[in-house]
Amino acid sequence: MEKTEKKAFHIKDFIAHYGVIIGLILIIAYFSIMRTKFLTMDNMVNMFRQMTINGMLAIGMTFVVLTGGIDLSVGSIVGASGMFSALIARTETGCPWYLAVLVGLGIGLLLGAVNGIAVAYLKIPAFIATLAMLSIARGITYMATDAKPVPGLSETFLKIGSGNIGIIPIPVIVLAVVLVICFVVLYKTRYGRYVFATGGNPVSARVSGINVKLITCSVYIISGVMAGVAGLILTSRVTSGLAAGGDGYEVDAIAAAVIGGNSLSGGRGRLWGTIVGFVIMGVMNNGLDMMAVSSYWQLVIKGLIISGAVMLDSLTKDK
Amino acid sequence: MKKRLVSVLLSAVMVIGMLAGCGNSNGKAETKKESAKESEAENSDAASDSKSEAKKIKIGMTLYSLKNEFTVRLANAAQAKADELGIELLIYDGDYDPNTQISQIETMISEGVDGIILNPQDADACSPCVDKAVEAGIPIVGVNTRVNNEKLTSYVGSIDVTAGEMLMQSIVDALDGKGKVVIIEGPMGQSAQIERREGIQNVLDKYPDIEVLAEKTANWSRSEGMTVMENWLQAFDEINAIVGENDEMALGAKAAAKAANKDIITAGVDGITDALDAVESGDLRVSIFQDGAGQGSKAVEVLLAAINGEEVEENYWIDFEEVNQDNVAEFKKRAQ
Repeated sequence: MEKTEKKAFHIKDFIAHYGVIIGLILIIAYFSIMRTKFLTMDNMVNMFRQMTINGMLAIGMTFVVLTGGIDLSVGSIVGASGMFSALIARTETGCPWYLAVLVGLGIGLLLGAVNGIAVAYLKIPAFIATLAMLSIARGITYMATDAKPVPGLSETFLKIGSGNIGIIPIPVIVLAVVLVICFVVLYKTRYGRYVFATGGNPVSARVSGINVKLITCSVYIISGVMAGVAGLILTSRVTSGLAAGGDGYEVDAIAAAVIGGNSLSGGRGRLWGTIVGFVIMGVMNNGLDMMAVSSYWQLVIKGLIISGAVMLDSLTKDK
Repeated sequence: MKKRLVSVLLSAVMVIGMLAGCGNSNGKAETKKESAKESEAENSDAASDSKSEAKKIKIGMTLYSLKNEFTVRLANAAQAKADELGIELLIYDGDYDPNTQISQIETMISEGVDGIILNPQDADACSPCVDKAVEAGIPIVGVNTRVNNEKLTSYVGSIDVTAGEMLMQSIVDALDGKGKVVIIEGPMGQSAQIERREGIQNVLDKYPDIEVLAEKTANWSRSEGMTVMENWLQAFDEINAIVGENDEMALGAKAAAKAANKDIITAGVDGITDALDAVESGDLRVSIFQDGAGQGSKAVEVLLAAINGEEVEENYWIDFEEVNQDNVAEFKKRAQ
């Protein structure tokens, strides 16, 4: 009697915790059957290169969501950092590529800090503050060049988005490095524990001496910097600063974090879950494109998967 | 129990979602099912895929958007021509995002297409699309909007500078060479916007009595055109004419003018269904018809020729035509 109970419990838990991985495996299996070209090295490399922008944003979003917040402005920050780095990276300015990179990261950091201050110190709800930033950042981006694109970027800068080291695309390497750093920060440092604590219960966190405001502010800065990196990758990939760059990217970032099992109310979540989340989205985009599923259907499917994932998460939480 | 039920449901949703993809009708449902069955039957190896390729030529097309009538018309015509010629056509929606279009080109190349048709969102940002196709040895034909890349196999389109000139000239004629106008532009950086504006300027240079009060982009969108016009109606006492780089925006602006009880002469480009109706009713003075269907099917023809190793021209131009109250009935018949 006892043995059977234990076994049943184990399976339910397993599915609740690791359901996403099972889902991912199923999806990959499905696409490999439907399209033999799916599992080729070429396609895999492309797929991973295409995932990196959303991956960056999703990682940043995870930090924010863990504190119970949300960052709706990441798409616009991608656009802003991309545009300003492009202006510097033009061959005619004669500026070195790393200056353009610094500018891109700097913009991400600056806008992220504004978000962080608004949410943590001015007590503006995250939804509103980052929604405002979405508009403001986009407006600034359009103003920078009167909505005109900025082509003619230096060769070295362009390598960031389109170059390879061996067969591995540079953006993938950047993403991998960032992931390792974030894993260490989130799970091996006191700071990481504070992030979880702040999201789980801000009041008891504060009472136990954690500077909740600082922690809250910092996660938006992280999200902003990630968006800055994503902006650099995007701009160098499309070889041009685009005024509308990154438009709508926040949706996919939030989706990846949520599919991965990060609770939007904070305190509960896992970085590996986010990875599975954006990999699932990347695989779905690539696989559905390979099968030439109409874009209208792809939107519907994306929405169904996101709501399914959230439903699963909220039902698991009840326990 | 609940959790297990939900996880089963979630997996079911994903499976159903993908089956929906299988049965989706874009005229491709049959071919996909066929190749899916072939792959499964012959134990999924590369050989089976190349067998179906040898049987049927496969091409891919990415358009900057499938969310407006003009591009949908172009895509449908391309699909019809592909069906007629017996080749498989995969159609992608670029979602107004060059990054997405580059990804779609990469996917098409992995998928093993024999040729690609590109309708780019941005003349420079989509240049990598051409580079990637050329690197993979796949012919790539541009259609409807330009891309700044000399390696393009061929281009099928209409000369937008001419459209701009025809558009502006019709307004100038309606105003007898004198008046105040506003110009509504397409997405900044797309070749159509750049070249139509050039054409408009060519005509403006000849008529110093025409004053341009303001110009702004409304990104080909009717609702944006309406908003932009509403603001201008507040800002300017007198506007004599609206120059719309495409019909959607012109129609939106006209609606705003009508709502403010102002009768302002308006003209657009493309000749979409609503515009033809508007020309008939007098809401639009003129629409410069762009043969999207012609561009779409010609692009498929040119690409097939390139795939078969034939020589193709650098450019294939299809004329713009002015639609006005006198000839609108003809155009309406053609659109059937």
